[in-house]
Amino acid sequence: MAAKLKNAAAIVGAAESNEIGYPEERGPKVTSLQHHIEAIRNVSDQTGIPISDIDGIFSAGWSSQLAEYLGLKPHYIDTTSVGGCSFQMHVHHALAAIHAGIIDVALVSHGQAGWSYRGAGGRRGNTAPGEIDPGIEMSMAYGAFGAPSSYAHAMVRHMHNFGTTAEDFAHISVVTRQWATLNPRALMYSTETNPFGGPITVQDVMEARLIAWPLTLYHCCLVTDHGGAVIVARPEIARSLRTNPVWIAGAGESMGHANMLEMEDFTATSASRSSATAYEMAGMGPGDMEMAMIYDSFTITAAITAEMLGLAPRGKGYTLWKEGHAAPGGRLPINTNGGGLSFNHSGMYGMQLLVEAYRQLSGTAEDGVNGVEGKQTDARTCVVNGTGGTLSTTGTLVLTADG
Amino acid sequence: MTYNKPIPPQGQHTKPFWDGAREGRLMLPRCTNCNRVHWYPRLICPTCHSMDIEWIEASGEGHIHTYAVQHRAFGGWGEEVPYVTAYIDLKEGDRMMTVLRGVDPMRPEDIKIGARVRVEFEAASEDTHIPFWRLAED
Ligand SMILES: [Zn+2]
Repeated sequence: MAAKLKNAAAIVGAAESNEIGYPEERGPKVTSLQHHIEAIRNVSDQTGIPISDIDGIFSAGWSSQLAEYLGLKPHYIDTTSVGGCSFQMHVHHALAAIHAGIIDVALVSHGQAGWSYRGAGGRRGNTAPGEIDPGIEMSMAYGAFGAPSSYAHAMVRHMHNFGTTAEDFAHISVVTRQWATLNPRALMYSTETNPFGGPITVQDVMEARLIAWPLTLYHCCLVTDHGGAVIVARPEIARSLRTNPVWIAGAGESMGHANMLEMEDFTATSASRSSATAYEMAGMGPGDMEMAMIYDSFTITAAITAEMLGLAPRGKGYTLWKEGHAAPGGRLPINTNGGGLSFNHSGMYGMQLLVEAYRQLSGTAEDGVNGVEGKQTDARTCVVNGTGGTLSTTGTLVLTADG
Repeated sequence: MTYNKPIPPQGQHTKPFWDGAREGRLMLPRCTNCNRVHWYPRLICPTCHSMDIEWIEASGEGHIHTYAVQHRAFGGWGEEVPYVTAYIDLKEGDRMMTVLRGVDPMRPEDIKIGARVRVEFEAASEDTHIPFWRLAED
């Protein structure tokens, strides 16, 4: 297999930051970020490749911040950070991504003030004491606590642009709870599993405690424990196993920003781009999708994502739930496990999306997990979209049932 | 009364902003190549990727881009709930976050996206004066 990658890509330039070694003996200390930016500017000048042509970004822990800082919207984001060999791996991953036709120009970047800030920690190594991402420096004074405080701004802007209301979004909570009442593993399955479990109404959602207006508690996902894993294998192996394969027909990724401060349109995410890539790869479109697994950290996340995936017109994402299409028995089941809103949400919910999509398309949802029954739909295709950060990054998969 | 809410550490590359804030001036980075203002401050222009960035004194005027009312907060901010957070479109371009003053958090529907706002500064410490935005008088 690996031989297919031979000569599939080349390194076309290599440069360094301006002041390496012991820069502080000649002038001010240089930050790790500055080393990155100078080296990137220099390799762009050397090769004549504009920074704006970079469509894949690789670094040891810096990738989304670097992309945001450079104003890039890459289609491949790899921030593998496993020590000093990370960069050899980045080249390997870039080779595979270029071979696969996902990207044309990969940037592999490194910046580390190992001397200037020797002894300093930080998750990306040697950041200056007290130094944080400038986007955080310029927003941390303003009383935002956790995801709801940020996502509420997107909902208000959606209401302004499209005339939507908090009641419209409340239907997403209500319908998603209907799915949870069919899934005994869902935290909100019933009042037996949780005092607040069982069916809810729009009025319940509207009258729940305010977290960040216009988000009440029931517009927000749960916070729970969860673990999950999937195995991906090539077709010969997939066909030889006792499990039913679910095929990865399409995949795409993109990002808008790292910090909400840089969100251009508060009513849109990069899922429009990540899904376009995935649909094109699959040779299918939103009209071909028979169910959807959509990250629902908040009702607004699900509504916007439905729009970005082309499942509903702009401004009308909520209608899929309000009109019952996304509900049990509807034409487009969405979040059949009960969603992050009512099933489980561990903080990074994307794995839960994958597990449920596999169960539905492999026809094993009724078999359940760990002996517990689920709710089987008859869907043969599913679009899966994860959203990360504060409506920041997206990954889309188009999955199909076998046969 | 001492300031009891988070005070940002001042980054090495943002000194002109904090220096200006201490004098009550809103300083913004502008690219000398494409003349665009960007926020947050960078060493490189996120539009044209020139590294020739200058600092200009801004008008201190802007408009509400979007907002929310925070009912759950911790520390010093916890004592101030509910309060209105907002993103402000700057007259010079790009966008800042803030806690909005001069608005009623119990009547969020009355706050208008697009409404004019002006910057003001609060001395959080001797070194760090933090910009906040207030609804402009008509
Ligand atoms: Zn520029």
